[in-house]
Amino acid sequence: MSNDAAIAAPAVGGPEQAPPAHGLGAALPQADVRAKTEGTFPYASDLWAEGLLWAAILRSPHPHARITAVDTSAAAGMPGVRAVVTHADVPGDAAYGRGVADRPVFASDIVRHHGEAIAAVAADHPDTARLAAAAITVEYEVLEPVTDPEKAFAAEPLHPDGNLIRHIPLSYGDPEAGGEVVVEGLYRIGRQDPAPIGAEAGLAVPRPDGGVELYTASTDPHTDRDLAAACFGLDSERVKVVVTGVPGATGDREDPGFQIPLGLLALRTGCPVKLAATREESFLGHAHRHPTLLRYRHHASAEGRLLKVEAQILLDAGAYADSSSESLAAAVAFACGPYVVPHAFVEGWAVRTNNPPSGHMRGEGALQVCAAYEAQMDKLAAKLGLDPAEVRLRNVLATGDILPTGQTVTCPAPVAELLRAVRDVPLPPLPKDTPEAAWLLPGGPEGAGEPGAVRRGVGYALGMVHMLGAEGTDEVSTATVKVQDGAATVICAAVETGQGFSTLARQIVQETLGIEEVRVAPVDTDQPPAGPAAHGRHTWVSGGAVERAAKMVRTQLLQPLAHQFGMSTELLQITDGKITSYDGVLSTTVTEAMDGKELWATAQCRPHPTEPLDDHGQGDAFVGLAFCAIRAVVDVDIELGSVRVVEMAVAQDVGRVLNPAQLATRIEAGVTQGIGAALTENLRTARGLVRHPDLTGYALPTALDAPDIRIVRLVEERDVVAPFGAKAASAVPVVTSPAAVAAAVRAATGRPVNRLPIRPQAAVATP
Amino acid sequence: MRPSWTSAPDRPEDVPELPRPACEHVRYGNTNGQPGHREGAAGLTTHAPHAAQSVTLPASLDEAVAALTAMPAAVPVAGGTDLMAAVNKGRLRPAGLVGLGRINEIRGWQYQDGHALLGAGLTHSRMGRPDFAALIPALAAAARAAGPPQIRNAGTLGGNIVTAAPTGDTLPVLAALEADLVIAGPGGTIREVPVSHLLAGRELLGPAELVGFVRVPLLHAPQVFLKATGRTGPGRATASVAVVLDPARRGVRCAVGAIAPMPLRPLEAERWIGSLIDWDGERGLAPEALAAFGEYVAAACIPDQEGEEQPPPAVLHLRRVVAALARRALGRALS
Repeated sequence: MSNDAAIAAPAVGGPEQAPPAHGLGAALPQADVRAKTEGTFPYASDLWAEGLLWAAILRSPHPHARITAVDTSAAAGMPGVRAVVTHADVPGDAAYGRGVADRPVFASDIVRHHGEAIAAVAADHPDTARLAAAAITVEYEVLEPVTDPEKAFAAEPLHPDGNLIRHIPLSYGDPEAGGEVVVEGLYRIGRQDPAPIGAEAGLAVPRPDGGVELYTASTDPHTDRDLAAACFGLDSERVKVVVTGVPGATGDREDPGFQIPLGLLALRTGCPVKLAATREESFLGHAHRHPTLLRYRHHASAEGRLLKVEAQILLDAGAYADSSSESLAAAVAFACGPYVVPHAFVEGWAVRTNNPPSGHMRGEGALQVCAAYEAQMDKLAAKLGLDPAEVRLRNVLATGDILPTGQTVTCPAPVAELLRAVRDVPLPPLPKDTPEAAWLLPGGPEGAGEPGAVRRGVGYALGMVHMLGAEGTDEVSTATVKVQDGAATVICAAVETGQGFSTLARQIVQETLGIEEVRVAPVDTDQPPAGPAAHGRHTWVSGGAVERAAKMVRTQLLQPLAHQFGMSTELLQITDGKITSYDGVLSTTVTEAMDGKELWATAQCRPHPTEPLDDHGQGDAFVGLAFCAIRAVVDVDIELGSVRVVEMAVAQDVGRVLNPAQLATRIEAGVTQGIGAALTENLRTARGLVRHPDLTGYALPTALDAPDIRIVRLVEERDVVAPFGAKAASAVPVVTSPAAVAAAVRAATGRPVNRLPIRPQAAVATP
Repeated sequence: MRPSWTSAPDRPEDVPELPRPACEHVRYGNTNGQPGHREGAAGLTTHAPHAAQSVTLPASLDEAVAALTAMPAAVPVAGGTDLMAAVNKGRLRPAGLVGLGRINEIRGWQYQDGHALLGAGLTHSRMGRPDFAALIPALAAAARAAGPPQIRNAGTLGGNIVTAAPTGDTLPVLAALEADLVIAGPGGTIREVPVSHLLAGRELLGPAELVGFVRVPLLHAPQVFLKATGRTGPGRATASVAVVLDPARRGVRCAVGAIAPMPLRPLEAERWIGSLIDWDGERGLAPEALAAFGEYVAAACIPDQEGEEQPPPAVLHLRRVVAALARRALGRALS
């Protein structure tokens, strides 16, 4: 749909050029695209090993309960059952967690959320395993669940660590400052699920040395290995995570909650053990986006300039800390959005409840605050009688401005340019010239939509995210490039989750070495770590490492020739497998120059360090920032409250386009996920119990829900500290699009729209 | 032996020089625990091997009834869109299955004194086609609105009725049409039951009984089915309304689906609006009358609860949705 637009868009600034066929800037397709389309691409759920056993996990039916007794004897005695493990069978650490080890492998005395693991079974058939898990008798003393995060502060501690996971009281500027215009709002953001298209699956294989190998679609294999090894009571070297095909990942995948029981069963039985989660288990087991409650007060001058922002942000972390601390830092730091705010007082809390667990998901923290601060900007515009885009333009951030965390924005921040780009592009035409039967109205084809009740609305949103880990996380990635027989191989533990890292790695090597045939090796933890596949890390850090390694190989290859001809290596170039000198005197092929040798080089990339936010929420916490502007056009049936997004016009700050086709798909995917968060995606709970943990009850956007996504502008201002000057592109459209859809629904209906996803009753209006 | 591992997410081919997984016996099979091919040990074709110890595929309705008589614990399955999902989830473990997919006599329809006798095996896709839509437009519209194409290709009319899910899209249409079910039973018995009796639980399917046909009157007048869902793509109805005109009996019949365990008929509202329509003339109604009909239908189907001053917002919204659907449906039927 918008591939053409995306390929054409980067050329807007410069002369029209055909994109290169390979190397950076080429629209290289992913190497696995054909296999994935044809359904032959192997995922973890396709794994098989001779004599494998099947695992099943017994999960708590209560959100909060005391376990008084667990009796596994009936299950263990069933024919075909080979092992039953509970908390008593965990040989190493009983708890694990990223940052804080607060989450038990198996609940031993207290169950803290619906679906928490209590025991696991290995049997010779998946059905036997499931029946055996059901045959384990657990006696519960049901406790009152704490499901309202506002009540978590005063509630009895749900965990020995207490209910407050993190508190950041950011204060910046003068608390007495005020403005002539004040707007206030209370906003609620729902629980979005990463809903990967393939549910969790994995295979654990015991090793003869007493270790275990975990074959899973992990997105952070080294961390997962270390957490698992600690629970197994093994050295990290004796646990190996081998990454299989990843069936979709917009959050953490195959977290240790799946891997550790699997590994324990393999160690216990001495047999390979496979686990393939059902969709229900997947919904119950993995981490979701933090449901958030936000209170805002914006003070502005009569001209619409922001003077002060006061905000309170409450993240529902669920039962365990996971990555809530990072999410809270992002939420607090970006609470004012990409606007210049001279005085800001933002207080953020992440609290423990008995709700489903929250954790890392694309755009964490930033998405929730974006929906709120953009709603505030709309309110401000309405109060001042200004155009919503104009109010935003009067306040936008630019390079050199200071964030409320005290950090100066040093990277390109072309926010005004992005906003103007989406504002100035013509609106999509009304379908009045096409036959009425062909109109796609809210409610869909064969739906109940009636043209007379449909109102069109236009809304704007600006969003921002940080790239890489924040607050002093050590970011490092190591890559190896090998050249032999005219073909190159990249070895890097950066997981290809569909984000396109392996395609990018191929392009980087093609660009640097002029070798067309580049392969990317499978990932396992015998390779040096590359960090989790999140926050655009692999484009930046792993891509940087691949480039350095490729450059080192290039020097090894060209140095002897340069020496021989008495020129520096910079004067030689490699294209299409041929090495030529600037003056044409030298011309040889790469194969000849290699002379049967193998060239290897390994390099690391480690961006500049960051610092944690201090007690006042101040600090240079982020390596880089990325921005996006979206104009949403929606049709709302104001009687039924049904919403259809007609078009999303996107302008994004990308630094540099490395692969136009891939970039366009990332933006389209991100916008679509954001539309899900805006309209339908909310994993509902009733007193802590997950309701409808299936894809009928949890409505993901379908092809009919995805609008025309029009990429109107990709601003290529290179970020000098990033390799290639490129910025991560996946997360920021996810963050921005819910706010844009909400703004457009607000414009169409005149309703406040202060809750995401937007419920139909919030989008009805009197004609 | 070289390992047969080919997991490289980006490289289906082998990369021989690289560090390989130490494990020689790991490779990809399919999800059923079979190494790479689907045929394996008997019964291992789903995650639930004990599910179907016997599968019968009768070629006629009589044979199907006989198979069910011979094995009372067996469950009949047509499209399987609901049943097999429950089997795969482990919620249902039928001792045997009687597949109805090969019974040709129930896959089409025939005409019978002013009625259409629809085979219970008609798929939603088939009912959605134009020739069927010319016959029973509301049923065709409901069939087209029912789920994504994969579901419509498999799911059948009879399955929709027998599953009796509150959100079954064809059910309000059948209720509004006052369709009758032709039920085949052991010993060649045939009985007819109004669809509403089965849906309301007033009459039940007996042992070894099968819904063979659905008798639907051919009204030769406009019919409308409208459905409100949560998204633009296929989804379950939050509310649905079927309105059919019956000029011969000078009546309007309306049924509201998805808001209660069975379709609801607002009989008083039907009679009132039927009396307002000039059946011999233009048949049009003033917008106010349409709106009043909508309100009437909504109030009848979602009544105020005893002792409740103001219904909760969700109930108010549902009432508004039903009112809008009923008003729109009648307006379209009369336009």
